[in-house]
Amino acid sequence: MALRRRFVAPVEAVKGGWRINLDDEERNLLLRLMGELRALITGPDDNELLLRLFPVAYPEDEEKEAEYQRLMREELVASRLAAIESVSRTIEPANAKALLDEGETIAFMQSINAIRLVLGSMLGITDDEAADAADETDTPEHHLYDFLSWLLEWTVRSLSPT
Amino acid sequence: MEPDLDDAAAVDRPWVVLVWNDPVNLMSYVTYVFQKLFGYSLEKATELMLDVHEKGRAVVASCGREEAEMHVFRLHEHSLWATMEHDGPSS
Repeated sequence: MALRRRFVAPVEAVKGGWRINLDDEERNLLLRLMGELRALITGPDDNELLLRLFPVAYPEDEEKEAEYQRLMREELVASRLAAIESVSRTIEPANAKALLDEGETIAFMQSINAIRLVLGSMLGITDDEAADAADETDTPEHHLYDFLSWLLEWTVRSLSPT
Repeated sequence: MEPDLDDAAAVDRPWVVLVWNDPVNLMSYVTYVFQKLFGYSLEKATELMLDVHEKGRAVVASCGREEAEMHVFRLHEHSLWATMEHDGPSS
């Protein structure tokens, strides 16, 4: 797969919203990844890949942690799924001409980053040294990770106050 | 382990929200999230991000328990590795 880096920002703030400059192949790739993320989040909750998406809030207090998870986990699942739905709609090739509003752009940013985290876990990127080693590695998964990082970087830039 | 405190003593101590270093989240992204969620200036957010990166963690907020839980939730929504704990040694 050719994930080209071009001199057009993949995400840019324009008058009236945000525009995503990705071709159909890239949009369909992201749609597929959103589907995989949704399947992971709604699947068995003992999957280790979920650990980074649903971190522990109270590492030193089991009781408070259990209470926190009981109250907040479902809400976090719902929030992540809502973001995925939003991205699945806005990234659809048929909607390529429509501008995103700020909420949709933030959902895009959050979901792209969630996929990076899952992929980072799969690739064993668990410390800064592993991250540097991953930069030197040349597999389709590492290319995908780099592509998502690049996309995220531009999304953050487009959202940052100037 | 947290000693068994009287509730009255425990409520006076604020909670701190910590963000821990991780190798996946981008520096620019972490800085942006700190600005957005806490209203920090770019300078303050960058300083906190560098603390996370270089010292392994940073306190990003100090407040009551409910507010701290809300911050942790919103940080988790953004996939930052956030936890909370009682500030300082208990006495």
